[in-house]
Amino acid sequence: MTSKVTTEVLEKGTKQVKNNLQIPQKQITKIRYDKKAESEFFVDNSALAGFTGERILYMSVRELIENSLDSCEINHILPVIHLRLKQLDPLNDLWTISCKDNGVGIPSEKVPVAVCSFLTSGKYVEKQQRGLFGVGLKMIAAFSTKDTDHPLRVWSKSEEESEYYFDLRTDIGTNKPITLFKKNVKNDESQLEYETGFKVEAVLRAKLSPVTKNKIYDYISQTSIVNPYARITFETDDGKVTFKRRTEIMPNPSREVLPHPSDMDLKTLKKAILNFMNQKTTLQGILSNSFQKMSNDKAKEIISKAGLPVKPADKYDEHELIRVVNICKHTKFQSPNTDHLSPIGEKILTVGMTSEYSIILNKETANSGTQTQLSAKILKPALTAYSSRICVVTNRPTIVECGIAYGGEIQSFKLFRFANKIPLLYDEGSDVAREVISEVGINKMGISKKEVKEQYSHVETKSDRTVEYLPIHIFFHICSTKIPYKTAGKESIASEGDLKKYMKSCLSDLYRKVSAQIRRELKLKEDENKIRLYKHYIPFIVNAISESIKIDSKRLSNAFQNLAEKYVSGEFTNITKQIFLNSDQNKNEEKIKKTLVSNGEDGNKLSKFDTRTNILKSSNKIKLTKVEVPRKVTKK
Amino acid sequence: MSPKDKRHQEIINKIRKIMKNVGDDVLVEGIMPSLEIPKVGYDNTVWSDEKRMLTIGNKTVQIGPNSSKKIPTFAQYLVMANAIRKLLDEEMESTIRGMYYATLSTVGDEKNQQKFWSGQDDSDDAIKAIELLTNVPREEFAVTSKPKGMISGPITLSVGGDLIDCNLGSRATSQLIPTNIRDLEIVNVKADFVMVVEKDTVLNNIRKSGFIQKYNAILLTGSGEPDRATRMMVKMLNEKWKKPVVIFADADPWGLGIALRYKIGSESLSYDSDRLVTPNSKVLGMMFSDIDEYNIPKVARLVATQEDLNRANDMKKKPWLQDKRWKRELNLFLEHKEKCELDAFFKYGFKYLADTYLPNKLREAGVI
Repeated sequence: MTSKVTTEVLEKGTKQVKNNLQIPQKQITKIRYDKKAESEFFVDNSALAGFTGERILYMSVRELIENSLDSCEINHILPVIHLRLKQLDPLNDLWTISCKDNGVGIPSEKVPVAVCSFLTSGKYVEKQQRGLFGVGLKMIAAFSTKDTDHPLRVWSKSEEESEYYFDLRTDIGTNKPITLFKKNVKNDESQLEYETGFKVEAVLRAKLSPVTKNKIYDYISQTSIVNPYARITFETDDGKVTFKRRTEIMPNPSREVLPHPSDMDLKTLKKAILNFMNQKTTLQGILSNSFQKMSNDKAKEIISKAGLPVKPADKYDEHELIRVVNICKHTKFQSPNTDHLSPIGEKILTVGMTSEYSIILNKETANSGTQTQLSAKILKPALTAYSSRICVVTNRPTIVECGIAYGGEIQSFKLFRFANKIPLLYDEGSDVAREVISEVGINKMGISKKEVKEQYSHVETKSDRTVEYLPIHIFFHICSTKIPYKTAGKESIASEGDLKKYMKSCLSDLYRKVSAQIRRELKLKEDENKIRLYKHYIPFIVNAISESIKIDSKRLSNAFQNLAEKYVSGEFTNITKQIFLNSDQNKNEEKIKKTLVSNGEDGNKLSKFDTRTNILKSSNKIKLTKVEVPRKVTKK
Repeated sequence: MSPKDKRHQEIINKIRKIMKNVGDDVLVEGIMPSLEIPKVGYDNTVWSDEKRMLTIGNKTVQIGPNSSKKIPTFAQYLVMANAIRKLLDEEMESTIRGMYYATLSTVGDEKNQQKFWSGQDDSDDAIKAIELLTNVPREEFAVTSKPKGMISGPITLSVGGDLIDCNLGSRATSQLIPTNIRDLEIVNVKADFVMVVEKDTVLNNIRKSGFIQKYNAILLTGSGEPDRATRMMVKMLNEKWKKPVVIFADADPWGLGIALRYKIGSESLSYDSDRLVTPNSKVLGMMFSDIDEYNIPKVARLVATQEDLNRANDMKKKPWLQDKRWKRELNLFLEHKEKCELDAFFKYGFKYLADTYLPNKLREAGVI
């Protein structure tokens, strides 16, 4: 009833308007339905891509390095990357950022679109890559266009082409590139010295706070940990650092794979059918050819379960197809294969962990005022270990990799998180890796909370988690075509499906692997602490004695110190003896040794391990002759 | 040399002997030195039927710099021993707090700096260790604590030659019991008996009522946990001056514990019981049974806390508290879960405690 009335009123209204009759009109706001260009959308919603105020430069560095690494790895080229970040105009907050690589480059006719048009990407395939969305570089181009009058300068050299140079800007309203200038670069003006390559230089308006600056340093040094085969040079106003290439091994490039049927939906199914449009293939054929783990028989079974009549594949309507999708969701398939994933791998991560770079900012006070100087320092750990799990998390094959670096030059606890080889630097607190670390007890390392807190009582940590007292770096790498990020900013991973379970088992496994070594490291630390205690307390003891009785206090002091050192080292051999008497322990030891040796693919870089295992062997021998308590050994 | 100086020299020699042994271990023998000290605490406390008090057992602990925990302790003991030697050398005296300050310093380098003592408890423990090592009570080191015991009544003390009459006629104040007992002598005692109460507030009330004059008694309190001087004073009055001693404390496990310190001794000072414990003293109140017998109004009774109950249960298990009387009292407490302070009698009037309750109890016990 009511609806009829309204239509009548409306009809009347329209008539009245047509008749130009003056009656009181309701305020009607007319909604315009416009289409927004992709570029405009992303510029207006730059937070979606992480480009917010403070983080513009950080995100730019990130996007450029990720693009460069991807474009090298696609053709198995050992990456050489040169990143430059310099202040151009401090008054107007203008920065020049440039990134040069030796990757595959972009064919010259595709350059303007690939650089400036949003949602254009060579990466829209089912395999693991760093970038996915075709947004990053475009964002830099758009911001440069929006905030400055500088063109984006691009050099590109792709296979079978010579070097081209472009001046580009983005037409933000239409998502189309504007090519201001294009030329074929002559040899003497060439910027790209490798066979192929790509260089981009942009001027951006941004502020750089010290915090963000440190994040950029962290980002680059952590990138170098998981990409030790890349040579990365980083140049800023503070100086220049180079992260050397520490290995020639590169991970196997990921391959494109077919989607897994349990991940099927109406869209993927229709797309598959569309692909076979002109080939007169049956639905059964399309299914078995478009999805992995889907045999012909299996496809037949599914179609019969769905109760679909036989007809040309493109004649099925959506109501029929959804039944196929539903059946697939309820059918068990083999686990998806992982060819499309590219884990870092034990060898490469171990190289990264044993040569972990950290950027140091030295402040030098010269006559001309304070000058800062960047330099990079390698932190060599005493031991490392690696473990990984291949698993299926909410139907997506996922690889969890976990590594540990302990002791040596490592001074404190740190958690490193990577997703598809990208370091995650923000929101650590809400990351699943945090939960994993607090839920896996350190007793799996064969050490107790009490021991750790005793030996590292001086460590200042806000956390009461015992593991954070240890000088240990824990690395987590999750790779998947779809990482369950918690937020659009892609900075922390949610605990989705069984991911946490697999991460926990991976970490527990690692803890067990290193238990014997950590115990020994802890013992060393204990000895060190003890020696220090003696050093501090012996003067008190000697003083008390020498004030009370006549005694040569120097001699007493020296004798006491010697005694203490012998005592501590003697205890050490005793402990090693116990470890070696335990046969299980021995096996464990062998395993670790093997791991370590196999890690040492490129020899000397891992020499630390070898020496440690050597120490072990020799102390094992010593123990045979020196079983007695040290006080008797010294009593000759 | 006066006899006291001679005693000093003896102690100094004892300390030097300890130092010499440590030095010889390191220099001559080349072994880690170690101090053997009688263990103090529950598991080395033994009831002596003959002495009717707690005594120390045979267990000992080795304190040597052979474990990282004991390195600081070992150094602390030697430093304290040396400080005591200095104190005796200089013919000075000090409180335990004074000793703490005298030995205060920091250990370690800039990176790992810490305090030599983490608090006075540490240095008190070290003083105790030297007592045990030398078998000399700390009063003879001239190391004392702050006086807190109080005494009133017909008794004359001599402190370093100064005569002090504790029968202060005004009823308004009491005399602190000096802790430098080496200088303390009892000159004369005219009282018929000695009454020990737990708290100074109660003592003040009783004194003000004229109890001392009426019953010719000495009133004494340790103001809570009694210090050594107070315990020794009680013992001397009982054993040397043959005065009966009665004890009144609050009707709760802590009060009973304090009363028993006088009568049987304590675990932490079991090594010194011979000087401190008065086995002939009588604990007369306040008994848990008194709460009902004297019909203390509900409002003046306190509900036992979990801590009280735990403590009572602990006490029940101690082998030296298996006497039927204590067991009955503790069971009564655990059953009723009520405690009561002596002050509760004030509910019946300010003079009730001194005029009615105490005389009743004393008559029952045949003291008056």
